[in-house]
Amino acid sequence: MARAYRPDTIDTFLHTHGRNPKRERPMVKFARFALAAFLGFAALPAAAEEVPILRIYAYDSFASEWGPGPALKAGFEKTCTCVVEFTTSEDAISTLRKVQLEGGATKADIVLGLDTAIAGEARDTGLFAPHGLDLSSLDLPAPWTDPEFVPFDYGYFAYVYNKEEVPNPPASFEELIALPDTFKIVIQDPRSSTPGLGNVLWVQAAYGDRAPEIWAGLKPHILTVTRGWSEAYGLFLDGEADMVLSYTTSPVYHAVAEDDHRFAAAPFKEGHFPQIEVAGILKTSEKQDLARDFLTYLTSLEGQKVIPTTNWMYPVVDLGADLPPAFTAQPKPEKLLSIDEATITANSRIWIDAALGALQ
Amino acid sequence: MPLSALSNSVLPLRPFRLIGGAGIALTIAALVILVLWSIAAAASNEPASARTSIDVPHLLAMTSIQAGLTTVLSLLVGTALAWALNRLRFPGRDLVVGLFASAIVTPGVVVAFGLLAVWGRSGWVNDTWQGLFGAPLNIPIFGLGGILAAHLILDGAFAARILLTRLDAVPTARLKTGQSLALSPWRRFAVIDWPAIRGTLPGLAAIIFLLAFTSFPVVLLLGGGPANQTLEVAIYTAVRLDFDLYGAVLLAMVQIGVCATIVLAAAAFAPVPPSLGPSRGQRWSDTGGARTAQWLVLVLSILGFALPLAAILVDGFGSGLGALLQRPVFWRSAGTSLVIATLSAALTLLLALGLGLGRAATRNLALRTGIAAPSYAYLAVPAVVLALGFFLLVRSLGIDPEFAAPAVIILANALLALPFAVATLSPPLDAIALSRGRLIRSLGLTGARQFTHIEWPLIGRDAGVVVALAFCFSLGDLGVIALFGTQDFATLPLLMVRALGAYRTNDAASIAAIMLCLTIAAFVTIPRLFGSSADARA
Repeated sequence: MARAYRPDTIDTFLHTHGRNPKRERPMVKFARFALAAFLGFAALPAAAEEVPILRIYAYDSFASEWGPGPALKAGFEKTCTCVVEFTTSEDAISTLRKVQLEGGATKADIVLGLDTAIAGEARDTGLFAPHGLDLSSLDLPAPWTDPEFVPFDYGYFAYVYNKEEVPNPPASFEELIALPDTFKIVIQDPRSSTPGLGNVLWVQAAYGDRAPEIWAGLKPHILTVTRGWSEAYGLFLDGEADMVLSYTTSPVYHAVAEDDHRFAAAPFKEGHFPQIEVAGILKTSEKQDLARDFLTYLTSLEGQKVIPTTNWMYPVVDLGADLPPAFTAQPKPEKLLSIDEATITANSRIWIDAALGALQ
Repeated sequence: MPLSALSNSVLPLRPFRLIGGAGIALTIAALVILVLWSIAAAASNEPASARTSIDVPHLLAMTSIQAGLTTVLSLLVGTALAWALNRLRFPGRDLVVGLFASAIVTPGVVVAFGLLAVWGRSGWVNDTWQGLFGAPLNIPIFGLGGILAAHLILDGAFAARILLTRLDAVPTARLKTGQSLALSPWRRFAVIDWPAIRGTLPGLAAIIFLLAFTSFPVVLLLGGGPANQTLEVAIYTAVRLDFDLYGAVLLAMVQIGVCATIVLAAAAFAPVPPSLGPSRGQRWSDTGGARTAQWLVLVLSILGFALPLAAILVDGFGSGLGALLQRPVFWRSAGTSLVIATLSAALTLLLALGLGLGRAATRNLALRTGIAAPSYAYLAVPAVVLALGFFLLVRSLGIDPEFAAPAVIILANALLALPFAVATLSPPLDAIALSRGRLIRSLGLTGARQFTHIEWPLIGRDAGVVVALAFCFSLGDLGVIALFGTQDFATLPLLMVRALGAYRTNDAASIAAIMLCLTIAAFVTIPRLFGSSADARA
């Protein structure tokens, strides 16, 4: 027994925990290097602190390499002595949850990317300050009067199809339901996806109390319900489904970026439900003026020129010849549906549960 | 307890190993509690929103059926495939083994899309069939069948990889004895192989069950609708849509409870340590029907497992790769991913060795379970809860989340890989303690020498698998970075998701293919590096 108690058992401990010098030295070096690299990352904003930093919370694809973020950042930084910094979350609702969690301690100046379906809930948090901008001249489906949120682009939810595969697309939810069960659509879960929620609101706005009946009718056509927009759109592009819930502007992406003109959005007789993306300034921001300047830039002609071919939505000002023709070639819905904000906030959970219940 | 008393007398006393293992276990358990507590604390600051009303028993039943089936099928397929791979020698075998191992660490959604590229409506199989016979072949890939198929690719191939490690480690002496006794293929499996893999099965089963139980994107994507859902979806809903943090914590605790039961049940199986000894690889081939069966298993598995992964590669290395490689953001993200993956792999190995050595130092069942069980916690805690909890924890410590992001991601990724690492390293360490304990005591080896001269040479190969696994897990992880990402701090999977969100399916496919290649390369090279270093010391 005594042998096992020899003092070198301390050695055992050290060695078994990886302090074996033979193996660790390169690792330590590497760790130091990596730590330095990380500190480098983190130190960037800290070093730049003399110049004011405008911190914007946005969803991932907005701030990404392919989104409008980089161009907007570069464009605005030319006009201000400031640095624009995007902090990203998976999606729009996560950005709201993040500032809710951070509350008064949030460093965010602007939350960007909320949409009209969750604007009411965001407003009720009391975290947002009036923007004080005159937005009456904006080109939107309806005149803009919101005192807190500034719209920066919009689109309409629609089912997108491939013209070669589907020569006669359905022209309403009821026509879609009447098709054989082999005609498949992909939609998104309203609990985790903005278009998914938009779809629920769309059916609700079009059919009211008949909405559960429509959902039950759609059930045999629904191939699957995905977590997010990109999985659903991917399934559609891979040919797994005939139509996908997306936006009227989705075919424009294929036409402009890929010169692929096979895709179209099916116009529905019931009318279409719009999604308007908005940004808001936080009350706790110490850079109210700078934030306001950014929102002014965002809704300016120059800022808006970035939007169509990066976020693939309609701009909120008339860009004239700067709007790619594919956007104007795409018919805008003849009839627009809407539900007022208070009704959405009070009922969206009930409608989601009813829709999911009918699909179960 | 005569057996345990006997065993105890065999083990050399290593109090520091015990303390080290217990310390790691306690720290991990404390971290889980802190994560949940920080969310609950944040919840109490929020006004009570609409409380989530979900049918927990129904969800539990649905999820358990799916996870149970996945587990049974994965273990069956995994055992058959490991058996075939152990016996057969063919050119490119290492690549095939690497390919199989890479499935589990590839993001589930990517694998699901690979599966559809082969078996879907417009997939290879259906296109070929239609070309040959003119009519579409309707393969029911959506629904429970699709979920099971995707899980089988993810988990069955993983099971095969782990079991193959155990079979490949069967001592040459044992094989020679078996060969001289002219054991039939079936007797050979029962007498030599089964004892070698038996000890690994309960831990493996627990892991696969937990993975399937908490699987989320795959279940939603291939499930076909809200009827096929998991508790994880409900938790996600509570956090994201309802902002019902309190409900989310309660649901997470239900999930942790279920998962803990599974882990404890697995731990209750008396561990059967595999036999150990120098292994020079398999030179004894089966003949006749068994060999035909092995080839059949291999060919079917390659078709089933490798085709979907090959589809990802074909898709990704098409057009658009060049444009992606010219983007600086790609190289930045790749660099970040590699640094994070390397560090978290190193951390995983350290923690797993600490836990495994501590566990092997005692025969006390409660203590052994106590040391291993907390490492499983991170499979049970939903990623959305984990990310949220870490975010709140870091903030309440007064640290800027952006500053803490790299450290948190490394830690979280290491913890995610830890159950796999513990399940891989623990059985051989146990076996060493049991079979070599007497020798170690009689030689009076110090713990350090015990490790460098006896344990490391014998577990080097397993350690290599652990490092490769942890490296690739971290490379493909999407769960935690989502709440911590900024425009400048991105990893490859995050970049992939961003590309997908911006219609750039080509770029996303290329990134997925590159990640898959890195994963396969890691699985082919890392275990070999570790194996040779261990052999050199032996």
